[in-house]
Amino acid sequence: MGLIDNLEKYAEHQNLSKDKRMMFDSFMKKGFPTTRDEEWKYTSLKKVVKSEYNLIQKHSEIDNSIINNHSLGIEDKIVFVDGNLVSSPEVKGVHVSGFSDFDCRNNDVISELNSALAKSGFTIVVEKDTVVENPIEILFFNFTKNSFSQYRNRITVGENSELKIIENIQDLSKSSTLINHFTHISCDKNTKVEYNKIQNNSKDSSLIDCMNIFQNQDSVCEVNTLIFGGGLIRNNLNFEQNGTNCESNMNGISLLDNNQFADNHTFVDHKTAHCRSNEMYKGIYLGESKGVFNGKIMVRQDAQKIDAFQSNNNLLLSDNSTIDSKPQLEIYADDVKCSHGCTIGQLDEEALFYMRSRGIGVSEAKAVLTYAFASEVIENLSIPELKNLSQKLLAHKLNVDLDFSL
Amino acid sequence: MLKIKNLKAGTEEVQILKGINLEVKAGEVHAIMGPNGSGKSTLSAVIAGKEDYELEDGSVDFLGEDLMDLDPEERAHKGVFLSFQYPVEIPGISVSNFIKTSLAEKRKALGLDPLPAKDLLKMMREKMELLSIKKGYLSRNMNEGFSGGEKKRNEIFQMAMLEPKLSILDETDSGLDIDALRIVANGVNKLRTKDNATIVITHYQRLLEHIVPDFVHVLHDGRIIKSGGKELALELEEKGYDWITKK
Repeated sequence: MGLIDNLEKYAEHQNLSKDKRMMFDSFMKKGFPTTRDEEWKYTSLKKVVKSEYNLIQKHSEIDNSIINNHSLGIEDKIVFVDGNLVSSPEVKGVHVSGFSDFDCRNNDVISELNSALAKSGFTIVVEKDTVVENPIEILFFNFTKNSFSQYRNRITVGENSELKIIENIQDLSKSSTLINHFTHISCDKNTKVEYNKIQNNSKDSSLIDCMNIFQNQDSVCEVNTLIFGGGLIRNNLNFEQNGTNCESNMNGISLLDNNQFADNHTFVDHKTAHCRSNEMYKGIYLGESKGVFNGKIMVRQDAQKIDAFQSNNNLLLSDNSTIDSKPQLEIYADDVKCSHGCTIGQLDEEALFYMRSRGIGVSEAKAVLTYAFASEVIENLSIPELKNLSQKLLAHKLNVDLDFSL
Repeated sequence: MLKIKNLKAGTEEVQILKGINLEVKAGEVHAIMGPNGSGKSTLSAVIAGKEDYELEDGSVDFLGEDLMDLDPEERAHKGVFLSFQYPVEIPGISVSNFIKTSLAEKRKALGLDPLPAKDLLKMMREKMELLSIKKGYLSRNMNEGFSGGEKKRNEIFQMAMLEPKLSILDETDSGLDIDALRIVANGVNKLRTKDNATIVITHYQRLLEHIVPDFVHVLHDGRIIKSGGKELALELEEKGYDWITKK
């Protein structure tokens, strides 16, 4: 027994359409990816899928205090509790609703599974010429023990519109859970979209997140992935540029300890000319934590004058932490500027002594240097509440009482 | 205030300090001069608590306490300050944030609450004025992209903020042009009181024209081979080190 069996049994009782049945069968035929699969070489799902899961989330009531505890204090909130949409904001020019099914190309077996069985998620449509001033916070709460939940979300942003999102998935079940999260974002011409993910869960909750972003000309899209904890986290972040003068930005922080694991797989598909992409991922690993970074940049033949930048810097703060980092550049155009860099290091001893000689204790000095390492990403966060939370979580994870703001 | 007795220290391979004796009292300024490789910077690093060096023999007593038993941060809390010859660049931390943290940690160790932001900023402004430091400086990253002179001024700025009892200025004059040297020296002089002491480590007599020492010591091959008043510095400038080291 295991997740596969749970899924098979569950699917028998679902009235799946022909297409969905085909997708599910295709998934069942292939099964979950293993480390023999190139894209999953460093990320083993073996342990996670061996467990038994509840595929039906029980409907629980949520106390407002729980929502407020996990919220950044942002007014406009979309709240899911055990897969049910319990609250959505009224924002001019923005239509928020629950799950509405949509077809799109599947990335892999896991998105096939999502496509076949997911019945929950949000749909956001931003009308054209709408600048959404305040960010929208999306909170997913799970209380169902040992649940396997799937969300399928879609965001459509109309021409000349702007949108900022903060997404926070909170597993409060105090048990082993797995989430298969899929989000499809279409950015129309001249849009500006910012999506922030807070991934901060217990070591028992695992998350596989796939986000596909399609950009039309003159659009700018930024995704910030802030990982502060979790059992197994896999983020697939895919950008497809389908018009000139697009900009795709992705930044990430992974701060892990104990046996936590996080894998960031990014892919930028430069299909059109005069576009940019910037990628900056910082990893900080304590204890026996493990990180993976795989950044692929594809520049197609017609995509001239591309400016693509990628960096992945890692700090290993313990002897037993590891990082596997792999840049992948595939360039078929001849007039492009692509650069990538990867570093793996420890804290600078000279700097540590310098700080200690100024009265800053060892753990505090290490924390300050670690913050300094991560600050390029944290300081760039545009939402003050999010910046503040990141600073607090960093201090908390490093076990120091420091205020990094000034 | 500081009593160094027969201090022998070095790395695992070599002994660098070969029996230093030095006493510094409150209110005094001591200059330690000497040629390259004589052990000047090692002495300051040992006092500040750098772990690269091993204490082989002797003792360093600071205000009645064995300094060698303390961690570098504890020494700082007790009032020891080292102005680095090569201040370290720390990208990602602003000067103000660094100093705020440093001061808060020192106050915490002394059982005090952090200074209220208003008082801290006021203090920073006063000390900046003392050292002719421009406004935008506080938000720059710690020593990142600073010129040699700016780095040294930043050291003295931290010293002014931390108000140490014993300050060791390791080659603070190197990399300073004459105007910056005057500003830095002026700052150091203004920070002098009858309760604190300064050790100036330098190659050249130039700095000592501005920070006038009560005592001058010549360090050579890990030992103090000659001590005297401020005239000794002038004599060294004139004759070089050879006339004593060759004796």
